[in-house]
Amino acid sequence: MEQPDAVIHQPLRLRIMATLKALPRGERLEFVRLRVILNATEGNLGAHLGTLETAGYIRIEKDFNGKKPRTRVSLTEAGTRAYGDYVAFLRAIIDGTGDTTHAN
Amino acid sequence: MTLSPGEAADALRDIAATETHSRQLYGYREASPHLLIWGILWAVGYGLAAALPRYGSAIWAAVVTTGFLAGYATAFRAAIRRGTPAERPVAETRRRAASRLNWTYSGIAFIAALFIAATLAVMSPVSGRQIDAFIPLVVAAGYAVLGLWLGVRFITIGVALAVLTLGGFFLLPAYFGVWMAAFGGGALVLGGLWLRTA
Repeated sequence: MEQPDAVIHQPLRLRIMATLKALPRGERLEFVRLRVILNATEGNLGAHLGTLETAGYIRIEKDFNGKKPRTRVSLTEAGTRAYGDYVAFLRAIIDGTGDTTHAN
Repeated sequence: MTLSPGEAADALRDIAATETHSRQLYGYREASPHLLIWGILWAVGYGLAAALPRYGSAIWAAVVTTGFLAGYATAFRAAIRRGTPAERPVAETRRRAASRLNWTYSGIAFIAALFIAATLAVMSPVSGRQIDAFIPLVVAAGYAVLGLWLGVRFITIGVALAVLTLGGFFLLPAYFGVWMAAFGGGALVLGGLWLRTA
């Protein structure tokens, strides 16, 4: 990987990906819970989730839990791969085998 | 713009910390209903066994069976929730979950029963109170060990359970069953609620 993934490189988006990656495969995390875990504002988190969804890295599902609206987020296969590539890119830099340029 | 090895190392540290935090909170949430179930069942089991000591064995057989069935149902619901109906039919998700959980729960029940039976056979306790204290201590140790991987809240619950069990056993032997109903079961219920707030 010569360039890091600019979508994941943003710090909050990276933490979103790391939080979702730590869950069992297929598990979905509620938006409200994700906001608390990341200590992010609703608007900021929503905007970054939109970027990740557009890139195809996460899946956002909206439904009702009883009468309460619920938004749940999960990692896609493409997101899992992209996250793995990004971590490999960081490791390569530390090992001295990677390109240190990143697109911003 | 370049990314230095130091910045890359910082990013990896952040990633590791975030993953650990996420995994711990997830573990707490998943364990919470199980602690609530067993807390209520302990309160019922110890309370009834203290009131009706003649039926102690039957009461505990019913309590343990109920606990395993309720735990299985809780784990099954969680497995279904994790399923991805968009990619996989619901029936297939249910079949896979049942297949995995049947083995897991049968294994847990078999190992637990074998361990307790073997230990009691070797140790030959002279009173029911010893058995009533031994099992909570094993559970407490289990939570403490689990906490080494899954987070400090499990260690806290394990230590609290062990202290309460030993306190009741040595300080209030005449009321040990009632003590465990209130404080053993109560500790698990409070622990379950505490994990849910994580």
